[in-house]
This record gives sequence, structure tokens and C-alpha cells, in this order.
Amino acid sequence: MASMKRYFVARTIQTVFVLFLVLTGLFLLFRLMPGDFTAQMAVSGASPEALDEIRDQWGLNDPLYVQYYTYLINFFQLDMGESAIYRVDVWELTKMRIFNTFILVAPAITLTYVAGAVIGTFVGRRRGSNVEKLGIVPIIAAGSFPAFFIAIVLIIIFAGWLGLFPTSGMLSPGVSSEYEAWWRPYLTGNFAHHYVLPFAAVVFRYLYIPSMIMRTSVIEVMDQGHTKYHRLTGLPASNRFKHTAKHASLPLITLYPVSMARALGGLVLIETVFNWPGIGFLLVESVLGRDYPVVQFVFFIVAAFVIISNFVVDLVYGTIDPRVRVED
Amino acid sequence: MTEPLLEAEDLTVQYETDGGMVTAVSDASFVINEGEFFGLAGESGCGKSTTAKSIIGGLDPNGQISSGTIRYRGKEIQDYTEKQFNEELRWKEIAWIPQSAMNSLDPLQTVSEQAVEIGTVHTEMSETELREQLKEMFSIVGLQESRINDYPHQFSGGMQQRAVIALALFLEPSLIIADEPTTALDVIMQDQIFKHLDEIKEKLNTSLLLITHDISVIFESCETVAIMHASQLAEYGSVDAVYANPRHPYAFMFKEAFPDVREPDRDLEVIEGYPPQLGDEIGFCSFVDRCPWATEECREAAPELEPVDDDDPRHVAGCFRKDEAYEMYQSNRLSSQSGDSTTAITSEDD
Repeated sequence: MASMKRYFVARTIQTVFVLFLVLTGLFLLFRLMPGDFTAQMAVSGASPEALDEIRDQWGLNDPLYVQYYTYLINFFQLDMGESAIYRVDVWELTKMRIFNTFILVAPAITLTYVAGAVIGTFVGRRRGSNVEKLGIVPIIAAGSFPAFFIAIVLIIIFAGWLGLFPTSGMLSPGVSSEYEAWWRPYLTGNFAHHYVLPFAAVVFRYLYIPSMIMRTSVIEVMDQGHTKYHRLTGLPASNRFKHTAKHASLPLITLYPVSMARALGGLVLIETVFNWPGIGFLLVESVLGRDYPVVQFVFFIVAAFVIISNFVVDLVYGTIDPRVRVED
Repeated sequence: MTEPLLEAEDLTVQYETDGGMVTAVSDASFVINEGEFFGLAGESGCGKSTTAKSIIGGLDPNGQISSGTIRYRGKEIQDYTEKQFNEELRWKEIAWIPQSAMNSLDPLQTVSEQAVEIGTVHTEMSETELREQLKEMFSIVGLQESRINDYPHQFSGGMQQRAVIALALFLEPSLIIADEPTTALDVIMQDQIFKHLDEIKEKLNTSLLLITHDISVIFESCETVAIMHASQLAEYGSVDAVYANPRHPYAFMFKEAFPDVREPDRDLEVIEGYPPQLGDEIGFCSFVDRCPWATEECREAAPELEPVDDDDPRHVAGCFRKDEAYEMYQSNRLSSQSGDSTTAITSEDD
């Protein structure tokens, strides 16, 4: 047990260190970009004196290391700063948007992994048959289209022609003001009605990744010595299926958080088409406006999500695959 | 005579490939008796593993038994379904020692988990009983009993091989098929594994079908040997008879291709050429292109296995010229050897 604890501590320190590197990287990266927020204010007609005063006030005239120090200290005090564009606290500005994106991405990506595992297994087990050769084609085709295209096609068919779902938004106007608790609107039928199409767009867009990986993995595992050995030992088909599925799903477990993070960061187009109040649109706006505090925080949240979920996967993986387990 | 444990009669196994049907085993007939160690030798791709797999229903999906019968304790099993194999034969009656233990043990299961799963499927024994049973088998193959709960990657290669032998013994089957059980191991490990197999023979009355390309191993540990060349059984009989009096050209050349400590200076035999590509029908002797004594007759029909010696009905060879070839070979060899020794003496004189 001692070494397990040591591994856990070492891995935690490592994770914290990587998060720190991300913080630093984000700080430097955005300061490498030409211009800052005041440049935009100048365009809107602010006087040079006023701008200089603002730059002073925001610390933009300080040397970089002083800015960095202030940035870190503020960050560790959980003070994320104020959005330059909206003039509100970054956390207040982003928290609901992060939640909105997460509530769309997490269930959708989870579904693609569950469905992908089932499809991949079904297709992979019928190696060489037409099901295997053709079954995967529509899934790859869907994954090959740009996300916004899938979104638009879904809107045209299901919102336009069939009129089944609203074309955009997350809630009808006025719905959120009916409830006091912030989470209550998410439990309404109105939300579910708006949720279906963007959810379907994410699923169609990302389903091909787990399906393809699982298919290849199943084919590979079925050809491995232990699968053949299990057959010769006379295990019934149900037992053997269980073993194959367990082996074949190992790569999926590793990739799940990666896909999740990719989707979290890459949802801009789908969010834009559906006018979904997530982080995607906010992020684009903030990068273009050099709204450092917002950009830094959102990027940090996405990066932290990847790093922490990899940390969790590392810890959990050992319970499934003894070969990567830390010995006692 | 009691009923034989396993009988194969005119067994033909074919694989369906993109290039048409390929015959891997052609009209093979042999008998394995209770408690007998039976060695099947031949070079890579000659059909020895396919023969073994057809006995336990382990052929790949594109393989099939096209004709012939296999009887296990008198019951025909060549048409058994997966379910019948699972319920009647696999592991309780016929167990398997794979070539590469490293790839065959499930890396996600401890050896005992794997054993308990197999045992639960095939017997009524409780988990505790099954673990005790596995411990006993571990001690037979020289592994510490406490290590049954280890994962395969925690064993060395030789220990993994012993673990799969323990798993094969686990339900005390009547027949164990060992497919090149020592090929992946160094000679010292090989020797130890064979010591354990010899011990098993003494302790448990198990039959063994040993598949190998190393005929010396068979001469050392088996009672019966069958030699296969490109899908056909060339010669088969008791180890003593085949060793002393081989008749099929492939058999005696194959035997002479291995070094013998009793004749350290002997030149090793070289069999020229490669086994032929085999199609659907094999109406000729598959050794014909490599055989120095082949005649037209050998190309026109596949030879039947016929007794070599009237006093030993079990020693059979599949060769049209089995009575002449060996004598021709012997006399040829003697003259060339005496020639060699003359030169040796002359050079000493110099």
C-alpha cells in the first residue's frame, strides 16, 4: 500500500505542476499576441491620456514579471479578474456558460462512447462480412462533415421541414425568470426540447471516433492468443464475449477524457449555429477583443479538465489492467 | 485390446483462402491409446498443428474437416458444434498446452481467476476446491503454490509455460495436446519442462499428443511417433521401430538431420527444396519433388500407409518404394562415409 500512496502523491504533485505550467503558458501566450484591450478602446475613440490611465490602473504598463506575479497571486486567491469587455467578474460571466457547454458535451460524448463501443463490437465481430465493411461507412461519413454542416442539416430537416424542434437557443424567452433556483430551468420540458438537436449534432459529429477505435480493437483482440486460448478451454460464448469486450475497451477508456476535452474546446461551431449560450462563442469574442482574464480562465478550465481527467484515468486504469497497476 | 482413446481415420482438413481451397491435412490416420505419449513431428506448415486443432475443435473459421472421422472413446467428434465441444470434450477430456504461454494467458486475469472460471464452467467444484486443485498442479510443475494469485506478467517466460501446463492438468484430462510447448524457451527450460511432462506421465495416467519440429524430443519422451510432410503422414509407429528401421525417405532423412551424441562426427542430412504448395486435391506423394528416389509412380497417386514389418502392424509408412529406398540410402551413405574416412587417414599421413 505504501508505494500506492507514494505513486498517488507523486502523481498529484505532477498534476499540480502541469497545471502551473498551463497557467504560465496561457499568460505568456496571450501577451505574445499584438495589442491589448486598450487598442480596441482607442479605435472606439478614447483619448490617449484616458487609455494610459486605464493601462496604469490595469497594470498593463508594469514589466511582464510584475504582471505575472500579480496574475498568479490573484489566481491563487481565486480572483479571476474582471472581463474587460463586459466589466463583470470573470467567474460570474463564465460559470453558467461553462455549465451550459458541459451539460451539452458530457452526456453527448458519453453517449458516443457507449454507443461507439456497442457499434464497434457489433461490426468488429463480423470481420470480413458486409456488415463490417459497410456498416461503419455512414458513421465515418457523418464524422467527416464539418460540425456546422451537420448542425444546419439537422435544423433544416427537424426544425424547418418537420417543425419538431426549435431552431436555436437553450430556453424560450422568459422561462428562466419563472424559477428562482438557477438549476430549475434545466429540468423543464422547454430545455429538453431545445436540447435535442444540438445534442444530436454533437453525437453524430463525434460518434465515429469511439466506433472506429472499438472496431479495430475488437478485431485485434479476437486475433490474440488469449482469445483463442479461452475458446480452447471451453468457455461458453457469453464468457468469451465478456473477456473480448473488456480487452477491447481499454483504448476507449484512455481516449474518453481526450475526446471530452476536444469537444469542450471545439464546440464553437455547433454552439454558434444553435445559438447555444456556452463558452464557444464567448471564447471567440474574448480572443478577438484581447479580453485576457476571460480567455485565460476558460482555457485554463478546459486544460485543467484534460489534465485532471487523465489523472483520474491513470488511477482508475490500474483496477482494470493489472499490467499498469502500481505494485504494493 | 482396449478401446483406443483417440482415432483419426482418413482425416482431411482444408482451409478456404482467397486463392481457393488449401489442403492442410490429407488422409491422415492414427491412433492414440490411453496413457500414451504420442509425438507428431514435421516442419513448419506441414499440418501438424492443424491436425491437433481439429481434435479439439480449434480450427480457424476458414478451416474445416472435409472428410474422414475422428473418434474420441469411440464417439465421432468431427462434426461436433462449439457447444458440444464445450460441454463434452474441452478441458475435462482434452486440454491444450499452447505454444506461447506469454500470449495465451489472459493478461487481465490472475492465473487462479482464469482457472476458477474454467473450473466453474466445467465442474461442480467450489471455488475453494478449485484453488486447492490448482495449487496441487502448481506444485507438480514446480511452481510455488502461493503464486496462483499472480498475474501472468508477474511470471518469467518459463514460469508462464509451466503455468499453462498446470492449467492443462487442472481438470485431470485424459488427453493433453501440447503444441510446441517448449519452442519459445531456452534449452535448459526445455529440459525442465520435459522432466515435468515425464513426471506427469508417471503420476497421472494422461495421454499426450506432442507436436514439435524437434524429432529428438519425441525420441526422448514419447512412445509413438508420427512424421508428417506437407499434409501427409509419412511414417508412423513406435519410437523404437521408427528409430531403428525408418522407411519413408522423409522420415530417415529427417531423423539424420538431427545431431546424435553417439555419432559426433556424422554429417547432418540436408533435405533439399521446400514443401509444395497444396491445392484442393492431393493425388501424389507430397515429398516427391524433394525425394532422391522418386519415380513416376509417386506422382500418379498418393501412397497409402502400409505396414513396414509383418510383426508390427502399427509401424506403417506411406511410400511406394519403402522397401528399396532405405537400403539404397544406407549403402550410399556407408560408401560416402568410408570415402570420408579414407581422406581423413591420408591427410593424417601427410
